[in-house]
Amino acid sequence: MTELAGRELIDVGRSVLERASGLPGDIEVYVQHSETLTVKVYQGEVESLVTGEPRGIGVRYVADGRAGYAYTGDFAPAALDEVVAMAATNAAAADVDEHVSLPQAAESYPEVPGLWRPSLLSTPVERKIALAIEAEKTALGSSEIETVEESAYVDSATRMAIVSSKGVEAYGEQTFCYVYLSAHARRGDDVQTGLGFVTGREPQELDPVSAAQDAALQASRLLGARPCPTGKYTVVLDREVAAAVFSVVARALNADAVQKGRSLFAGKVGELVAAPSFSLVDHGLHPDGMASASFDDEGVPRKVTPLIEDGVLRGFLHDTYTAAREGGGARSTGNAERGSYRGSPGVAASNLMLASGEGTLEELFARVGTGLYVVGITGLASGANPVSGEFSVGARGLLIEGGALTTAVREVTIASDLVGLLSNVGDRAGDARWIPFSGSVYTPSFAVTDVTVAGT
Amino acid sequence: MPMRHLSPGISPELTEHVLRVALRNGGDYAEVFAEDRSSLSVRMDDGRLEEVSSGIDQGASIRLVKGPTTSFGFTDSLDESALVALAERLSASVRGAAALPSSIRVITLEPRPLPRLMPIAVETAAKTDLVRAAESVARERSAEIRQVAVGYSEGRQRTWVGSSRGPFATDDRTRVVLSVNVVAQRDGSIQTGYETLAGTVGFEIFDGEAHLRTALEAADKALIMLDARPAPGGRMPVILANGFGGVLFHEACGHGLEADFIVKKTSIWEGRRGSRVAAPFVTAYDDGVTPGMWGSNAIDDEGTPTEATVLIEEGILTGYITDVLRGEKLGLASTGNGRRQSYRHLPYPRMTNTYFAAGGVSAADLIADTPRAFYAKSLSGGQVDPATGDFVFGVSEGYLIEGGRVGTPLKGATLIGNGAEVLEAIDAIADDLEVRAGMCGKEGQAVPVGTGQPTLRLRELTVGGTAV
Repeated sequence: MTELAGRELIDVGRSVLERASGLPGDIEVYVQHSETLTVKVYQGEVESLVTGEPRGIGVRYVADGRAGYAYTGDFAPAALDEVVAMAATNAAAADVDEHVSLPQAAESYPEVPGLWRPSLLSTPVERKIALAIEAEKTALGSSEIETVEESAYVDSATRMAIVSSKGVEAYGEQTFCYVYLSAHARRGDDVQTGLGFVTGREPQELDPVSAAQDAALQASRLLGARPCPTGKYTVVLDREVAAAVFSVVARALNADAVQKGRSLFAGKVGELVAAPSFSLVDHGLHPDGMASASFDDEGVPRKVTPLIEDGVLRGFLHDTYTAAREGGGARSTGNAERGSYRGSPGVAASNLMLASGEGTLEELFARVGTGLYVVGITGLASGANPVSGEFSVGARGLLIEGGALTTAVREVTIASDLVGLLSNVGDRAGDARWIPFSGSVYTPSFAVTDVTVAGT
Repeated sequence: MPMRHLSPGISPELTEHVLRVALRNGGDYAEVFAEDRSSLSVRMDDGRLEEVSSGIDQGASIRLVKGPTTSFGFTDSLDESALVALAERLSASVRGAAALPSSIRVITLEPRPLPRLMPIAVETAAKTDLVRAAESVARERSAEIRQVAVGYSEGRQRTWVGSSRGPFATDDRTRVVLSVNVVAQRDGSIQTGYETLAGTVGFEIFDGEAHLRTALEAADKALIMLDARPAPGGRMPVILANGFGGVLFHEACGHGLEADFIVKKTSIWEGRRGSRVAAPFVTAYDDGVTPGMWGSNAIDDEGTPTEATVLIEEGILTGYITDVLRGEKLGLASTGNGRRQSYRHLPYPRMTNTYFAAGGVSAADLIADTPRAFYAKSLSGGQVDPATGDFVFGVSEGYLIEGGRVGTPLKGATLIGNGAEVLEAIDAIADDLEVRAGMCGKEGQAVPVGTGQPTLRLRELTVGGTAV
């Protein structure tokens, strides 16, 4: 079904606006329509093929400083009437906040090239299936890989429109695809797992062999892993691990968290909060970033916002509400985001970017000398608290001894606090890449000193 | 709040017709799942009732299985024409002679009464009043409470599911949850406290001002942790308190007993049914049938009535958690654990409410009998790799036990262990069974689950604090 492309989404938004024309307040309509495909293969055959076209409408209604929200997955005229009525009724139950308002229309939107690739939808499904099968086959060709539990190709083509009574009329579209697999290595009774992935905007960009090699390497090199002694270590965070950790840090750089007293960075703008070599930028427009777009989820232009520069805290991420509340000429940084049409927008990072360092990962191990290379962490959701700053997660990886990797390690924890961790961020490799999970982060592998490892 | 008409769902006759179309080019199994869902949530934060949000979703999906391959699609409409078109599209993905579905056989269970107070029948003002009352109780607990967020959420999900094996069943599920999130501060130290009150019940869950107790518990948790010292790092005995301590079983054992991992032989528990995995005083259940619990339903999302499955009986591994198709591969009947987040998702074998059965001693005696241990009073969640059995869980409220007494609060600890080893390490179970509510994520789908246990002691586990 493609009849909802482009203008049609805007038209749906307009027809909802018209239904609200008798109401005194302002209204914003968010319309989303995706085409999604997930193929999983197992032992050379398609295990499941899931297709769908999830779509929905979210309506935000603001009157006299009160906001209400309602959504529907039903585009029938009666449902559109109902969603407007629900949003207005819901607004009446909220408390007044003078800073609550809908954004004005932007004069222009920045262009981000290449977000939509028609070939994603025109590529035959057989070609997509072949990518997942090739990933599985490649991993199984690796000597110690016994099983590939799951190898998948996933893609989505998403179109969305935002239309408001303040004159916002924005339309965006983008495609995204990835291949991932989970490989299991076995030696005797010892089993270890490894994940690999590649991402792109169209299937032609995906190299399933490289995903498979990553998964196979990660699984097989952890064979024989055991806990290492408890103590203070210099840890080298693999790029995926670094991305997950910096995503937690970014949650404390959100102005909503700061204004409500839920950030360890509150009141610290202009202060040194990280090692002087550390810089962090929210880049909403980078063509390779998964979260890039011309505008955010309330129709405000995306932009580039420095957060930490040379260790000094420069500012926070804003949406329209937090900028109004901040006052003093603060503007939205284009960081409004919603999980789907079912939720009203809140503040979130777009693409986080960290500067790459120098040399290969092996050269970084040589410079570090002694430590623990962490290739995977678990329990980040339950073990990292961006309000209190506590940080303790499960870890697996390899010891670094004499400047090179030696014994495999599992069933240990790494613990610090987020402030200490940022201050102790040190050397990094020149191996930065985009990590699309736990947000969208471009990061190299990082060394962090003085981290507690609990093992034997 | 405008009252919407209740969707009539899909009839057994329409289901049978759609299944026939889906199987017209062959197939081993076909299923239609339809759902109608309405939700409402209230959010208060920073002293202000920020937002009331509500919404409706309805749609249906069809699953067609032939040989090793499952084809799955969904539509946002319950109209006959949309369902038939979807069935035609899926049937085009297979080639062969038509298969005939069994005649539809409507499963009727002893009817479960609807909640005494259907949330939809309660005025929105009563919900906002409730949220305001919880917020104010938490805020007034101490001058050190700096921030309070309270969320209320209700949902009603009605389901219709029928398959080519014949069964057709419906369910009507109402869930209510209140969550309280508190920030406390003293000098430079900031701590958070989080509590929920949740059930597959109606608004009567708040009878007796239960929401105020939840708010106080969240506030006290944050206040207590202001006095906490950094937790130690290293191995030591661990006592897990009742209730949310049940995350231990969920992560250490439950996921690995889910039949998709067993079928693919990617679980440490594969091939171990009938063998001893824990001491004789350890018994564990997956119980999807007890009314009211957060993970309970009358019927699972494949049309199988839920049940209480004994997973470990007196230390012997006795059962797996399975859906229809994985069960067939293992020669087992479905245990009523085929679950999905919504009609837009494929079902997988998922836990419902898991817990260890109660033992014979009191929790107080168990603690008094312990010279030194880390006491995990409350957990914030966890994660496991089913293939290796390695799991972690975060401790949101921890203490040091010394000389049989609960002493200093300890902060910032994650516990890490291995599923097979930790079951063998259970050396005492108390009599204070309690089951708490949580959300479980797998295959990108979140479903409500209960996790529970009585207070129990582990001989040794790695505590991942910062103090060495």
